[in-house]
Amino acid sequence: MSGSKRDWNGNAKRRDGPKPAPKQVVRNAYTPIFEQLRNELDEHHDRRERIVKASRDITALSKKIIFSLQRVRKIESQLPANIQAEVDSRLAEISKLLATLAPEIQGINRYRYSRNLMCLEELVEALTFGHYLKTQTLISHAELCPIVEDLSRKGAVPQEDEVMGDAGDTAESVAEAAEAPTTEEVPIISLTDDDYLYGVFDLTGEMMRFATTSTALSGSMASGQGAGSEDDESRTIVQDMHELGTFFEMLPVGPEGRFQWYKKLQVTRQSVQKVEKLGYDRIVRGTERPNGWIPDLSAGDQGQGDELE
Amino acid sequence: MAPPMIDPALFDQLKSRIDEDTNIRKELDQIIDELNQHVSYTQGLLSRIHSTPRSKYDALLGQVENGIKQEIQTVGRLSAFASQYPYYKYNHKWSRTVQDAISTAILCAWLGGLSPDSKPGEVGRLLTLEDVGKTFEVPVNLKDRDAFHITIEEYLLGLIAVIDDLSRLAVNSVTLGDNAMAVQISGFIKDLHAGFQVLNLKNDILRKRVDSIKYAVKKVEDVVYDLSLRNLIPAAQSQGAQ
Repeated sequence: MSGSKRDWNGNAKRRDGPKPAPKQVVRNAYTPIFEQLRNELDEHHDRRERIVKASRDITALSKKIIFSLQRVRKIESQLPANIQAEVDSRLAEISKLLATLAPEIQGINRYRYSRNLMCLEELVEALTFGHYLKTQTLISHAELCPIVEDLSRKGAVPQEDEVMGDAGDTAESVAEAAEAPTTEEVPIISLTDDDYLYGVFDLTGEMMRFATTSTALSGSMASGQGAGSEDDESRTIVQDMHELGTFFEMLPVGPEGRFQWYKKLQVTRQSVQKVEKLGYDRIVRGTERPNGWIPDLSAGDQGQGDELE
Repeated sequence: MAPPMIDPALFDQLKSRIDEDTNIRKELDQIIDELNQHVSYTQGLLSRIHSTPRSKYDALLGQVENGIKQEIQTVGRLSAFASQYPYYKYNHKWSRTVQDAISTAILCAWLGGLSPDSKPGEVGRLLTLEDVGKTFEVPVNLKDRDAFHITIEEYLLGLIAVIDDLSRLAVNSVTLGDNAMAVQISGFIKDLHAGFQVLNLKNDILRKRVDSIKYAVKKVEDVVYDLSLRNLIPAAQSQGAQ
């Protein structure tokens, strides 16, 4: 009575395999009605299952991108080459997954499965964070949408030469990419306002972590123009966090999802205050540090190579 | 030279969209409130079947049909308004109320109301999902476009509520001396129970409600058992319990 068994690709296994006769259901006048409804419901359950699976993979990949980005040490227009390469390869995998996801969430199904699409929040978080590290600005919803659409479009084109990631994932994504181009018009994925907003909420947490590590390692607050710029007034991450904090405080709260909103807002407030404290410490105690002194973090730091950039 | 952290236009844009969303929800709340009133009224009327002998159904069902007509009107308003927006974005707001409206229609029809003009009403007619859609003049199980409709889940949940109500009616009809009704209900509920077994259910609300059907079956079986033990089942009905 429970769901059907699935193979690796999430397709329901044929029921005529080892279990030929499930159980003899008494047939009556209503049986055909219910059989028809069953087929409809199964279609819905199977689709949801596929979405959940792809969503989980996209979430994991997005988190990996964020980890890579956390190894960046300063804000500048070009990410360090090795990190950029990591991000690109993850994005290529994500775009294949998005392409398989896109046809499932067209039209009426976009909101039907929005609760199973937490991956988009995570993706927004990764993309906005990457954008911030390069430009020190928050990418807008309108700018982000084409990027995600582009990702889902790219994934639909088979790219055999790109082999990366876990062996299992690759086999799967190649198989899926092969069947995608059969559709003439490539369906794309749209971002809802909620995907965007909740992704940006999480961005504040990543910015806080970035501010903490980069300050500890470089001895100065992360800011634009890189170190030693001619523009002494350049904005630091403290101001950016303040602006983001104000942004969320000022936005009206929709009647739905209040609870989640306030929880996220609370976390954002904490992040803002942590960065504030960091800025204060820099001003008050920073001068006591000998010039060029860097705390010994060799054990905890995975990205020694990055600072050479 | 450096661009600001947040483009001021972004805030205004998001704010106005959240405000718009809030207004849509307020409007929906009003319509759903109205629907709720009609549904409660109709449910109240329908609860009289438990104390009404079968011979007086006609008058009662006439009133119930009027209540359902009001439901239909409000569902029409809801449909027109909600169809402007993504269906599943707001569906959870009215789903419960629409389920209740569906169950009033199914119960009324089963008791012989809402009959098509061609056929006289008779007890035991089950409205299918399509029939329910026709009754409320809205589409059902839409897949190709994004507009208001009645979902399969809403229909099934509405049907389960009817099963519960009928199991109560089985007891009360015996009290009113209508033993044949109890036998008929027993046959109907058992058939539906078998029907629900056909579904592949996930661990969700539908599964939970479907699991409750067996208690209704047991309740009605107990009544029929009591009757058969005492030879109280009318001979003609004992076979034709469809």
